[in-house]
Amino acid sequence: MSLVALPTAIAEASTTGQLGTGAATLAQATADPAGMALFAALALPFLGALVTPLVYRALGERTAWFAALVALASFGLVASQFGTTGSVSAEWIPTLGVSLSLYLDGLSLLISLLASGVGVLVFTYSAGYMHGEPGQARYYGTLLAFMGSMLGVALASDLIALFVFWELTSITSFGLIGHYRESESSLYAARKSMLITVSGGLFMLVGFVLLAFVSGDALGSTTFTLIGTPDSMIANADAMRTALESAGLFVPVLVLVAIGAAAKSAQVPLHVWLPNAMEAPTPVSAFLHSATMVKAGVYLIGRMRPLLVGDEWMLLLGTLGLLTMTVTALLAVGASDIKELLAYSTASHLGLITAGFGFANQLGAETGAFHILNHALFKATLFLVAGIIAHEAGTRAISELGGLRHDLPITGIVTAIAALGMAGVPPFNGFYSKELLFESAYEVAHELGGLAWLFPAVAVFGSVFTFLYSIRFLWLFMGEKPAGLGEVHRPSLALLAPPVVLAGLAMIVGIDPQLAVDTIVQSAFGSAVAGEAHTMSIHLPTELTPAVAMSAITILTGAALSPFYDRLRDGVRRLTHGPLSADWYYDKAVYGLEHVSGLALPRIQTGQFRTYAAWMLGVTSLLALAGYLAAGISVPAFSDLSITAPVVIVLLVAIVGAAAVARAPSHIAGVLTLSVLGFMVALFYVLASAPDLALTQLVVETLVLVIFLLVLDRLPAFYGDADRGKVARDALLAGGVGLTVTISVLVATAGSPDAIARFFVERAPVPAEHGSILADFGGGSNIVNVILVDFRAFDTMGEISVVAMAALGVLTLVAMRGRGESS
Amino acid sequence: MSVITRTVTRVVFPLILLTALALLFQGHNLPGGGFIAGVLTVAAFALVYIVNGLDYLQEDLLGRTGDDVEGGPAIVADFLNVFAVGLAIAAGGGVVAILLGQPFLSQAVVFLHDLPIFDDLELASAFVFDLGVYLVVVGGLLTILTVVGDE
Repeated sequence: MSLVALPTAIAEASTTGQLGTGAATLAQATADPAGMALFAALALPFLGALVTPLVYRALGERTAWFAALVALASFGLVASQFGTTGSVSAEWIPTLGVSLSLYLDGLSLLISLLASGVGVLVFTYSAGYMHGEPGQARYYGTLLAFMGSMLGVALASDLIALFVFWELTSITSFGLIGHYRESESSLYAARKSMLITVSGGLFMLVGFVLLAFVSGDALGSTTFTLIGTPDSMIANADAMRTALESAGLFVPVLVLVAIGAAAKSAQVPLHVWLPNAMEAPTPVSAFLHSATMVKAGVYLIGRMRPLLVGDEWMLLLGTLGLLTMTVTALLAVGASDIKELLAYSTASHLGLITAGFGFANQLGAETGAFHILNHALFKATLFLVAGIIAHEAGTRAISELGGLRHDLPITGIVTAIAALGMAGVPPFNGFYSKELLFESAYEVAHELGGLAWLFPAVAVFGSVFTFLYSIRFLWLFMGEKPAGLGEVHRPSLALLAPPVVLAGLAMIVGIDPQLAVDTIVQSAFGSAVAGEAHTMSIHLPTELTPAVAMSAITILTGAALSPFYDRLRDGVRRLTHGPLSADWYYDKAVYGLEHVSGLALPRIQTGQFRTYAAWMLGVTSLLALAGYLAAGISVPAFSDLSITAPVVIVLLVAIVGAAAVARAPSHIAGVLTLSVLGFMVALFYVLASAPDLALTQLVVETLVLVIFLLVLDRLPAFYGDADRGKVARDALLAGGVGLTVTISVLVATAGSPDAIARFFVERAPVPAEHGSILADFGGGSNIVNVILVDFRAFDTMGEISVVAMAALGVLTLVAMRGRGESS
Repeated sequence: MSVITRTVTRVVFPLILLTALALLFQGHNLPGGGFIAGVLTVAAFALVYIVNGLDYLQEDLLGRTGDDVEGGPAIVADFLNVFAVGLAIAAGGGVVAILLGQPFLSQAVVFLHDLPIFDDLELASAFVFDLGVYLVVVGGLLTILTVVGDE
């Protein structure tokens, strides 16, 4: 593992786009070229996204080719680092120990090559597919930004950076799923995916923070670095595990990270967003929902595997993965739309990958790594095929399609390769990784016995349905063309070339799996195991092993059930209604919350100032008091309290004034008595030797009085009699606020260390030894002012900005009021 | 308003302003400072406003003519400028410190000796910042006062 720390200049250069100068700096700084290429590969898509609106103005629909070129450049840059392993880093938030460090190894290389490589094909495809569609500049810009975020997820070696890119993929995919802004269902889908994936990410963030917290015990100093340096978490996996277990945080961290991954990778029951996400344009589905975004979750699982793998890991992820695989395969059988079928199937295959990574043996890691590649190849192909069908036949309903091989012969061959791979039929690519799953499940069961035999059983059961829906998809091209299906056009070259390329790659993997293994899968597999990885050897089986038997059972049962496909489909559809579908819970929760906030709104936002004040003051007081209570703060006893006669008199007058305000019969009397209170407070400051405060209080009090007099004639002369309930409520509120303020003042003054005060007092005046010129201390005899303009000048700067903003706010509100609701 | 009020206002208005300026200048060593001086200045203007009305304040006292701007009387445009300039002075003074290699908003004092009249004079860079505070407070509060009062 080579470790290179790059100067900050490189990160800056790559983010500001000055790649040329960055390269020059790099040549002097280090001999390792990897850093420059990785930062550039990551920065290029974001820069491309920034200039896309300009490019679109110049090129119009040909922006697709520009985006494809950007993706190709990123692909080339990542591919140029093929075979290297190591990390490069640049400072990001040095005070928090957060750095932007990138790490490249087999697994991240695989994911970033998929993201950029499939990206090239998807942009090419979009050139044909998006012809005449609205919002293309937005589309290409967001898609490029998404690709950059995905590369960031794959390459980040720091947990914070990983999280930021992770959420960026959620945000950009929100824009892409909601591409058709006028469509209600598209907006629903975008919201749903955003809610689920972003909140999953927040769980993951908590897990990351816990990991960093524990790393302080395990490694001596708190770090967010996951991988790539000698003091990273994965490099010290054993120490981290011990520390996690002794802190009792192992299971919480595992569950939190798993929730994040499950939300992103559409694992049951968080899979519900994926079928809805099919509202996105088909190239987006092919890219995000087969090859990239959903892969972020399984990537995270693979990445975390060396750190967290164990019995709990296997129980959680092995079960989750197989459950997802089976349930969503069933749902795919029930689908009525080709993209819906593919969406459920995607969730199912992600379940397969999760289960693979979940099994705590090396075969399991092999399964995960290999199936990431296989699934991306066949599923992206099938989505692109689905796009071609929708585009050329004008429908996506399964029941309306059939016999397409006559009109779309090349697409038919492509579909056959991909669908048979998806079904797990030898010698197509999906067969090998599914064999690996069977082998590892069998190994686990054989080792543990008992209930663990459910693992291979469920794996076979789920695979039967995978076989069924795969064949059903292929059947769109077989049989006779239904009478209702109109003319089917030939797809353009831009539409046809990308799936042909992908299917070609899938075919190569199918014919010579060892080639794919040697090229990339072996190193990706190596990243996902703790310790030394053995050498993978993949070929067509020549003897009858348990795994081969399981494959045979799958295919034979699937073939035998095929004639009953329609009955199975109807059965599944009958089952997935109401409380048995996860969608039902999502809708109930979201619309329920919406309903509750709808009920609460008229009580909180009445448009009356006193309601807002009551809620704000009451809630603030409650929160503050609850905070004190939770922190166990006791009210300090006050000592050396000496009350002089003048203070007593002044305070008594103030109390009388306060009582008079409450009893005042008119506004004018209220304002004047309130002033009495204010001026008494000013006098109190004078007596307490605070001339600055007293002066300020006097002046402000005067100004407030003047302003009150100015607006007074706009108000009604008399308040009217308030009923007893309201008076009691207001008294309670006022008492609560008073109590909170009193406690706050007592606690705050008791807690303030004298050291700060002494520090200021000592430094405020002109120190004699400095002579005539000094630049370091306040240099004034009025300590209040010196604090305001020197020691804490930044605070004052903020305060005067607030004054300026308040003035602008008032002006804007008054100016806008005349324009009415519409503006 | 009665003649007496108007006459008294005419007399006290310059006195208040003078006091405000005194508070501004002496702020570094005696009670005072930009904020108090600003509020006092605004109080003086508010007094004129209430006693003599907006037109008097705008046209006779400040010599402003012209059409109303959006959201308030013509004079508001000037008040906006006052606090914008104030913010610029306060921030600009801080930036000067950066140019001299000090952290943002660092202050310094210089003592001049043996001057005529003053003899010893303390020049504090903090005054520049205080002046900025003063202008922001005056401009901001007067804007609010005028806009709200105009309603």
